[in-house]
Formats: sequence, C-alpha cells, structure tokens
Amino acid sequence: MDVIQALEEALNKNSILSSEEACRPYECDGLSAYRQKPLAVALPEDIDEVKQVLKICKAHDTPVITRGSGTGLAGGTLPLENSVILGLSKLNKIIHVDPLQRTAIVQPGVRNIQVSDAAAKYNLYYAPDPSSQVACSIGGNVAENSGGVHCLKYGLTVHNVTSLTVLDMNGETIIFDEKDDGIDLLALLNGSEGLLGVIVEIKLKLIPKPEAAQLVMAAFNSVKACADAVTNVLKQGIVPAGLEMMDKFSIQAAEDFAQVGYPVDAAALLLCEVDGSHDQVKVDAKRVADILTENGAYEIRVSQNEKERIELWQGRKNAFPAVGRYSPDYYCMDGTIPRSRLAYVLEEIDHLSEKYGLKVANVFHAGDGNLHPLIMYDANKPGELEETEKFGQEILKLCVDVGGTITGEHGVGVEKLDSMCHQYPEAELEIFHGIKAVFDNSGLLNPGKAIPTLHRCAELSHMHVHNNQLPHPELERF
Amino acid sequence: MSMQSSISHYSDQIKQAVVDKQLLQIAGNQSKVPVDDDAQLLSISDHSGIVSYDPAELVVTVKAGTKLSELSAVLAENNQMLGFEPPEYGNSTIGGTYACSLTGPSRPFRGGLRDFVLGTQLIDGQGREMRFGGKMLKNVAGYDVSRMLCGSKGSLALVTELSLKVLPLLEEKTYCIPMPEGEAILLMNKMQGTSLPLTGCAYFEGQFYYRVAGEHPTQDNRVEVSACSNAVWKTLNPFQPTLAPGEKLWRLDVESTNPAIENTIAVGMGGTRRWVASKNKPNHPYVTLWQSRFAPRNNDKPCVQKIKAGLKEVFDPHHIFKDL
Ligand SMILES: Cc1cc2nc3c(=O)[nH]c(=O)nc-3n(C[C@H](O)[C@H](O)[C@H](O)COP(=O)(O)OP(=O)(O)OC[C@H]3O[C@@H](n4cnc5c(N)ncnc54)[C@H](O)[C@@H]3O)c2cc1C
Ligand SMILES: Cc1cc2nc3c(=O)[nH]c(=O)nc-3n(C[C@H](O)[C@H](O)[C@H](O)COP(=O)(O)OP(=O)(O)OC[C@H]3O[C@@H](n4cnc5c(N)ncnc54)[C@H](O)[C@@H]3O)c2cc1C
Repeated sequence: MDVIQALEEALNKNSILSSEEACRPYECDGLSAYRQKPLAVALPEDIDEVKQVLKICKAHDTPVITRGSGTGLAGGTLPLENSVILGLSKLNKIIHVDPLQRTAIVQPGVRNIQVSDAAAKYNLYYAPDPSSQVACSIGGNVAENSGGVHCLKYGLTVHNVTSLTVLDMNGETIIFDEKDDGIDLLALLNGSEGLLGVIVEIKLKLIPKPEAAQLVMAAFNSVKACADAVTNVLKQGIVPAGLEMMDKFSIQAAEDFAQVGYPVDAAALLLCEVDGSHDQVKVDAKRVADILTENGAYEIRVSQNEKERIELWQGRKNAFPAVGRYSPDYYCMDGTIPRSRLAYVLEEIDHLSEKYGLKVANVFHAGDGNLHPLIMYDANKPGELEETEKFGQEILKLCVDVGGTITGEHGVGVEKLDSMCHQYPEAELEIFHGIKAVFDNSGLLNPGKAIPTLHRCAELSHMHVHNNQLPHPELERF
Repeated sequence: MSMQSSISHYSDQIKQAVVDKQLLQIAGNQSKVPVDDDAQLLSISDHSGIVSYDPAELVVTVKAGTKLSELSAVLAENNQMLGFEPPEYGNSTIGGTYACSLTGPSRPFRGGLRDFVLGTQLIDGQGREMRFGGKMLKNVAGYDVSRMLCGSKGSLALVTELSLKVLPLLEEKTYCIPMPEGEAILLMNKMQGTSLPLTGCAYFEGQFYYRVAGEHPTQDNRVEVSACSNAVWKTLNPFQPTLAPGEKLWRLDVESTNPAIENTIAVGMGGTRRWVASKNKPNHPYVTLWQSRFAPRNNDKPCVQKIKAGLKEVFDPHHIFKDL
C-alpha cells in the first residue's frame, strides 16, 4: 500500500487530495514565484487524525510540510515532490476563552483575527496583528513568530504565547509551557518554521483594549529628518503603540489607492500612534506632536476621533496592494536595520534600484527597525524574476552589513537560505542542524527549509571568493 | 585587555578542559552557588562592562559578568531601565540572572527576562565562539537560541555577552487594600482585565498591593484604598522571608486565577507566582525549592527530558559544563 492509500484508509477520503487540480491551491504560499505539486494534501479534522497522518508518513519515509493558511512570504510551505502537505485549516476551533485569566486556548487553524473577535465581548484582544491577520492562522503565526504594527509596545507572537501542544514526527504529544523549569523550549518553538514539530494547540495571552488611542501623522522633507525624529520620540521615553514610516513612492501609491489625505510631496511620512488611558494619550499625543515639529516635520495631523484615526491608517495598511497596482508583480523584502542607518540603507537601495533597473517602494516599522522594500517587477519578462531575487539578496546583505538581520518577521523558508549563509557562520549553522535533529531525528518535518546545509553555504561562498581565499576550506567540494 | 582576548582566554580554558576531561562550573559572582569538589571554577565576573548602548534604539549590549547594579545605573542615567525588574541579591551579574531566568513583579505586564533577550555571544562546550540573534528588536533568522538559553544555569554554554531590549523609566505609584488572600487573587485578576496601566499586583501580609505607571485616574478612596510606598516590591523581589525552624521556601508557578494555596506567604506577579513556606513539598506541578543550592525540579515528562538531554549533546558533547 502506498502512502496515499494508507492516508485515504485512515482518514475520511475527502480529506486526502492528490489530483493535479485539487492540489493546485497548495502548490505555493504567499511567495508564489516558487511552485511544486506535492504528492498529496491531507486535511485532518482533529488531533487524532493529525497523529495518524504523521505516523503513516513516518512509516512511509515521506516528508511532511505543515501548512496553516499559506500566507507565508518565504516559501515555508513550498511542497516537495514526494511530500505530503499537512493542512490544518480544519482545526479551527477556539476551545476556550477565559476572561478572568485573560487567556484563550485555540486550535492552530484559527485565524488571527478570530481570537480578537472572540475576546471582544470581554473588552480583551490578542495583540500581535500581522497585516495578514484576517487570513493567517495562529499556528502559522507561532511557527513564524509573526509581528504586527503594534509589536514595539505589545510584543511579537513569542511574547504572547504561554503554552503549546506539539506533535513530533512519531505523533507523540509534547507540551511546552511558560511555567516549565530550565531552558526555554517554548521560546525555541516560536519561529521554528515547522521544522521542530506540528503545533496542534496554543494558549494565548489576551490583553485589555486600551481606553483610548490617537494617531499623529507627520510629513518630512527628508528620510533622515524623519528617522531622527523617531529617535527623539523614543529617547524621550515614549513607547508608541505603532510607529510606521513610508517613503515618497509608498506615500504616493497609498494616497492614490486610499485617498486619505497623505501629503504626496513629502519625502517621508510618519504615523505614530499612542494608546493607553485617556489622560495618558492626551499627554503623549501632544508630546509626540511637539517633538516631531521640533525635529522638522512640516505638516502634522492629529486624529481627532476614532473614525479619523482608522482612516489615516488605511493608506499604510493598504500600502502593499497600493504599490502592487503600479506593477504586474512585486517582491516584498523583510530585513531589519538599526534605525540610525536607515537613511544610508535607503540611499544604497536607490543605487541598487538604478543598477537593476527595478523600482522600489519602502515601508518601515520605524520603532523596531524592520524594513520592507517592495521591488516591482514583471514575471512575464524573461529573466526579470531572477534579477529581482538578486536585487533582494543584495538588500539583505546590506542589512547584515549594517548590523541588522535578513528577516524581521517573514522567516527564512526557502527564500532566504542563501542569505542565512551570509548571516551565520558554520558553527552556528551546525548548532541549528543539531537542534533540528534532536526534535526530528528522521528529518522528515519540512526538510530543507529555514537552515541551509553547510554544503550549500560552502558552494555559495565558493562563488564569492574574495582575495583568493576560500571560505570553509575544510569542507569537501563537489 | 581587549574584549577579543578575554574571550579567547575562556575558550582556551574550555578546550583545555575537554582535553583534561575536567568538569567546569560556570559562575558569575557566585551569589549563592558553592563550587563543587569535582569541578573547576570558570568565573566570568571579570568580563564586565557595557559593549554598546544607544538609548534611542532601546537596546543595550553588555558583557555577561557585569553587575546588575552597574547596568541599571547606566540605564537610569538615560532614563531607561531593564523592563523585567531582576531581583538584586547583592552582587548578581546579568549573566547569572539570565542563566537563572530571574524576573520581577512586572512580568505579567511588561514580560519576563526572556522577553527582553535579543541576542547572545557564547562559547559552547567545544570552546567555539558563536553569536545568536543580534541587536535588533525583530529577528527570525534561525532558531531563537538566545531566548532558549534563558534558564540554562551554565549547563549548555558560557554566555559572554547579551543584547537586551530596554524600556523608559516609569514613574510608578503603589496602592494597597486590606483583604484576605482569596479575595485579593480574584481582584488582581479582575483589575488586569481593565485598562488601568498596572505594572504590579501582589498579596502580602493581609494586603492587596497594586502598582500603576504614568497618568491614571485617581484611585477611589472610599473602599479603603490607600497610597503606600513602592518599597513592598523590593520586599517581594528578591523575596527572602525569615522562616520558622524546619520550614522551607517553595516557589510555585501557577495560573493567575489559581485559588489560594495552603501556607502561602506571598502572591506575586499578578497571581502567577506563589511563595509557600512549609516543611513538605506542596503538591503542585510547578514547584521549585528555593534554597541555598539549586534544587532541580526533575518533573519534566520523559519526552522533554529526552529533548534536554539531546540539546546537551549539541551544545556540550563532552559534558564539560556542570549541570547544577
Ligand atoms: C499581505 C500579507 C501581509 C503580511 N503581513 C505580515 C505582517 O505584518 N507581519 C508578519 O509577521 N507577517 C506578515 N505576513 C506573512 C504571513 O502572513 C505570516 O508569516 C503568517 O504568520 C503565516 O501564517 P499562515 O497560517 O499563513 O502560515 P503558512 O504560510 O501556512 O505557514 C508558514 C510556516 O509555518 C509553518 N506552520 C504553519 N502552521 C504550523 C503549525 N500548526 N505547526 C507547525 N508549523 C506550522 C509552515 O510549515 C511554514 O513554514 C504577511 C503576508 C501577506 C500575504
Ligand atoms: C538564598 C538564595 C536562594 C536562591 N535560590 C535560587 C534558586 O533556587 N534557583 C535560582 O534559579 N536562583 C536562586 N537564587 C538566585 C541565584 O542564585 C543568583 O542570585 C543569581 O544566579 C545571580 O547570581 P550570579 O550572577 O552571581 O550568578 P551565579 O550565582 O554565579 O550563577 C548562577 C547560575 O548561573 C550560571 N551562570 C552564571 N553566569 C553565567 C554565564 N555567563 N553563562 C552561563 N551560565 C552562567 C551558573 O553556572 C549558575 O548555574 C537564590 C539566591 C539566594 C540568595
């Protein structure tokens, strides 16, 4: 019996897809340039069925790629030809909301926004708010340690998860809890990209909705002035709930799209939200506006009510689709850099943009240094995707070189394997592979993602030999 | 001495220990742990000082042997602080605090130590220098080793440097209300569901204490609420009560809503931390004996024990670092 037959026998037949057509939606995730039909897709309905899928795949030596909603932007759920996609969309129940304890226990397929919706009647919400929150799953959020515009103040996913129930490749249950003694395995599972286990239940923190929030919008004549202004806000002891910056191109695109009154002549736009008690917000919004004015903002708008606040966010929240209208395709990058290097990095990206002949729009989570350059390209033009990828890799290298990192929130997946070689030397990569083997000795869970092989890095640096010195001389070269 | 040379001195010592099959016991200022006979001391207390600190990036990078008091003083000069309110036992180091994952009363509100860790530089059991994470508030490249090592108590690697997120110093006020423990637990849970900007909730000696930061509504005086000193948070953190002869101090981690537990002498961290004084171990899943030596809980399930044993092989394959 082959693996598909075994799965069909164990699960409801409708829960196993294997035809070309049925598998098509599972061929890629948000990084749609990469596609591959899997052997089959299994859509279990409960944890027991997930266990069975794992056991069957283990017995058949078949790789398993866990999938939430498939909104990942790094190719983390890209199938292998011989793999089974383990789709968790049917595990979509909110098991329990405890308003007194301020926690929610959910299944992994629950969409991010559903948690806050369920908590709303208690005046609570789930803080991490990726822009994809209407679609992405909590399981995917944990696997990617996703962030959102409010994470400077309220934290990333890892800061808001208190317990995880995980299955290993044998289908054995392991619980990781914040109350555990010794090393922090719960933290390790966050951001592990489906390589260490299948997350089947999650306990989340809920927090009270702030009493009030106000948004300050400020326009600047230069990126540097804007970045310096942000620096001064943070230096003055204010931790804004949201702090977003856009460059000229993004401002124009967003304004065209949403028509919210962004100043299209500005070189940089800052959106700074403060929240908390009514009294605190009043004080903070005024201080922010004052600091920004002192630092060269030539136009300031402060939202006067909820409607205005939400409207002002609309441009930023739609920045990706807005930019998308200018180009058949766009490629979203995700590096982080020290804010002090922002002006330099944007200048360098400009140069690269000229070099590759591809336009770029930049949006920036200014509080935490997370930069999203959007490269515009046309996949139908031969060679343009490859050029775009090269351009992207140069941007990530730039991020590492100024002391930042190759991914702030989207993960490595298949997309940034080469950039990982640039970020981490061999010993660290060895440790990563060691960790993987401890959790998944068979190597069947999402193989080949997130951590490049030493061989791949050696090959890559072989292509970039500097001064005739070969990095990793001890490794065999094929 | 330059930083590089002081680190290679440590890795040399570790490599030599591998050759000599000599067990090493990592220590900061040895706030309480005596060196065992079978082990050689590997002290990091000389490796001290701020490596880099830019207040506007909200990040400080510090050598592991730096005293908490020194670090806090430097941050305070810039109106900033460690957000996890680590307990100060006298001359604790930041490395030892990290290795024990020690956190104060603000944990439910601002997060625990692990929530502020951004990156580490370390030396593994083969004497290899490495860096994980970085100085960025957001970074999901590779597994989160620097957070994972919180609580590793010197058993996996020598941590030489840490990058931590810092927060602005806050002006805080403390209020208290006399009430029984059970009522206090209920009330602190209810309060944490409101928009009051809380940074601490505790129960101690017949009083419910809560701490509020920044601008907040005046507290209602009709229901016996009184303003009181912030000192209570220092009494609870580190908590060092005088015990009756034969009694032991137990640290319990529970859900915030867990009802009152017998022999509790303090409730901290918004209800999630209970301190129990008793002769016998309280019957509870997450209990640590808080005493003069580390007492491993040993209540991990076999599958978790297996993972921990596996990670020991990855970080310290020659078993050079003593497990405490
Ligand atoms: C328009 C758009 C905007 C976005 N904005 C943001 C943003 O603001 N912030 C941000 O951080 N990200 C953002 N993303 C990226 C993406 O939404 C997040 O990474 C999200 O967390 C992925 O969730 P998912 O359910 O779609 O996961 P998938 O794409 O299905 O999977 C992602 C990875 O997680 C693994 N995985 C999924 N579920 C599990 C599980 N239960 N157990 C183990 N592993 C699992 C997969 O194997 C894969 O490696 C955006 C994406 C889009 C398309
Ligand atoms: C009476 C009393 C009881 C206590 N009980 C406990 C308890 O039960 N459990 C607990 O966790 N804490 C306990 N503490 C707190 C703890 O012992 C220390 O205060 C804390 O470790 C900080 O001290 P230190 O920096 O001098 O580290 P040390 O005491 O020197 O070391 C503490 C631990 O951290 C490790 N360590 C130190 N530096 C590093 C480094 N750079 N890299 C890797 N590992 C390192 C050591 O190997 C050791 O395991 C107690 C303190 C007192 C006074």
